[in-house]
Amino acid sequence: MLASGKLTANSSRQPELIQPEPTTPRVLTILSTVIEKLVARNDRIVDGMSSGLTRLGKSLNAFHGVRAPSISIQKYLERLYKYTSCSPSCFVVGYVYIDRLLHKHPDSLVVSLNVHRLLVTSVLVASKMLDDEHHNNAFYARVGGVSNAELNKLEIEFLFLLDFGVMVSSRIFENYCLHLEKEMLLNGTLQKIERPIPSNSLDDVTEISVDDTHNSTSPSQVVD
Amino acid sequence: MALTAPGQQLNLNESPSWGSRSVDCFEKLEQIGEGTYGQVYMAREIRTGEIVALKKIRMDNEREGFPITAIREIKILKKLHHENVIKLKEIVTSPGPEKDEQGRPDGNKYKGGIYMVFEYMDHDLTGLADRPGMRFSVPQIKCYMRQLLTGLHYCHVNQVLHRDIKGSNLLIDNEGNLKLADFGLARSFSNDHNANLTNRVITLWYRPPELLLGTTKYGPAVDMWSVGCIFAELLHGKPIFPGKDEPEQLNKIFELCGAPDEVNWPGVSKIPWYNNFKPTRPMKRRLREVFRHFDRHALELLERMLTLDPSQRISAKDALDAEYFWTDPLPCDPKSLPKYESSHEFQTKKKRQQQRQHDENAKRQKLQHPQQHGRIPPIQQSGQAHPQMRSGPNQPMHNSQPPVATGPSHHYGKPRGPAGGPGRYPPSGTSGGYNHPNRGGQGGGGYGSGPYPPQGRAPPYGSSGMTGAPRGGGSSGYGVGAPNYPQGAPYGSSGAGRGSNMMGGNRNQQYGWQQ
Repeated sequence: MLASGKLTANSSRQPELIQPEPTTPRVLTILSTVIEKLVARNDRIVDGMSSGLTRLGKSLNAFHGVRAPSISIQKYLERLYKYTSCSPSCFVVGYVYIDRLLHKHPDSLVVSLNVHRLLVTSVLVASKMLDDEHHNNAFYARVGGVSNAELNKLEIEFLFLLDFGVMVSSRIFENYCLHLEKEMLLNGTLQKIERPIPSNSLDDVTEISVDDTHNSTSPSQVVD
Repeated sequence: MALTAPGQQLNLNESPSWGSRSVDCFEKLEQIGEGTYGQVYMAREIRTGEIVALKKIRMDNEREGFPITAIREIKILKKLHHENVIKLKEIVTSPGPEKDEQGRPDGNKYKGGIYMVFEYMDHDLTGLADRPGMRFSVPQIKCYMRQLLTGLHYCHVNQVLHRDIKGSNLLIDNEGNLKLADFGLARSFSNDHNANLTNRVITLWYRPPELLLGTTKYGPAVDMWSVGCIFAELLHGKPIFPGKDEPEQLNKIFELCGAPDEVNWPGVSKIPWYNNFKPTRPMKRRLREVFRHFDRHALELLERMLTLDPSQRISAKDALDAEYFWTDPLPCDPKSLPKYESSHEFQTKKKRQQQRQHDENAKRQKLQHPQQHGRIPPIQQSGQAHPQMRSGPNQPMHNSQPPVATGPSHHYGKPRGPAGGPGRYPPSGTSGGYNHPNRGGQGGGGYGSGPYPPQGRAPPYGSSGMTGAPRGGGSSGYGVGAPNYPQGAPYGSSGAGRGSNMMGGNRNQQYGWQQ
């Protein structure tokens, strides 16, 4: 458990799946820049409050640790990507979820005490939505440095906070990509997020469709 | 404080927020089903008295967390609102009795379970079709088919593939409405068809050839194949492709629909497993010949649904325009359909088991005419529930009318409108100015006519625990060389998974004890 606020993940407990270092998708860099900025700003707001976090709403309570994990947001996202091999789109969609959640619960703040748990949970849910082949919660828990039981609880909490609004149309997806890229422009860098599909085929009601790949299993495989 | 809102957030003011209420707002009445991810209960909302179905989400696999099928179903049903698609009303939670180490309630309001609350539907198509003595009339079949196609068309224009169309997922209420349910395998699709989708979907008997051949690029046509299978099943009286595994499934399809080649299905040779499965001998399409006793328009429509090449297969929209739905006898008004006592596949199975047990006891007591089991609803008397009446598979069915509601509606006592006595829903009545010459079920394209007389409804296969020798005149239907059918239905007793099939499996249970 993360009651201590320490992520238990470390190299000695890394999942067996050691892969050659993949090239880090640009979305991770962009996302961590954007989120780090947000967290820094919100942390200052909280510090400025006389009673700190107690003045905030309770929506994100489940995600709060006692201390902020030492791993940076950038390193944490890279770690999630490296070991879960989820599609890069999951990070954009995870970001959409967090943004939705904050809109639904305007009293909540992403701060350094909850950002890691929010990220691992959002990427987990996004990958469940997008990738037919995805790692289970037990795996995400190990990568994310939380216990399986806690991640399960966070997942349910997250889904209910979102009111199960986990559908992301490709139009919304594209809008968020553009938004993230614009944020980078403000920082003086021009970076494009990798898109799963050519944008001319995007369509209002369509979910993004990277995913759902399958294993070429033998035809006799039982449907699950 | 939000990040920013580049996208639109349209659904901010839904109410009430899902998950805000406890399952204690409902009183469970009885279990009516066992889904792939949990039990289904009939329940009454205490405040309003409204009857609903509660589907418990199974959370017992800690490693998997929240079941992906449940998330997908919720996500999709949140977006779909149509009279032929099941309505997800809300999600409720149950805190459960757990306490934390200090003995305080652990504050986990989800511990005791999470339930999806659906509108209640009395039947599913499998359960209904499987009732002893059940005959659907032609207008009734047309009515169900039209609703099925209307609901599916709605899904398809909203870019949702259902991917598990089968009888037990088509729910029917006592107003005659049919609704698509169980969207646990459903997903959104894009029109570009470039996405790779899993081919491990759709219950085997209803799975189209392109999936069996391993394609990962597919679209709404996969659902239309399943619709074709159901349509044929309604007309034929039993499943038309009861394969026991994928190779046998393909073989059954090829035997009826012919073997695919580059002529009738351009591009088929590029599909991943085509070379593994292409038939070694020429096989020609025999659909028209085998089903020659079907009504002409029905056959025409079926031909276009059971088209091998998915790109040539009829769409839901075009199917709704088919002559079949616009020629006499017209589809009837759902409200004019008879009301039946609640029947879900789950319940029918259970009742059969009870009946079987009872009959075995009766036999042991050497009773010639066992009394009706106390727990079997009276309606079964109007069918052929009596084992002794069916001395053998070749005995003709009774020419009974479709059972109309007899006696009280539901034992839980909720008034469900007029009980619908025979006077109100005359089996051969007409309604709405339509001319229904075949109302009453014995008509043209319905079961019981043509060269597949009622013995077709008796399973040609032994059921588990029995000898397994084919009975029923060796017919496996339309003469696809009687397969060595495995004992029992292709599904486990778990009730989950792919085999929950319309008619076939149950009948094995129903009659398995005979002999």
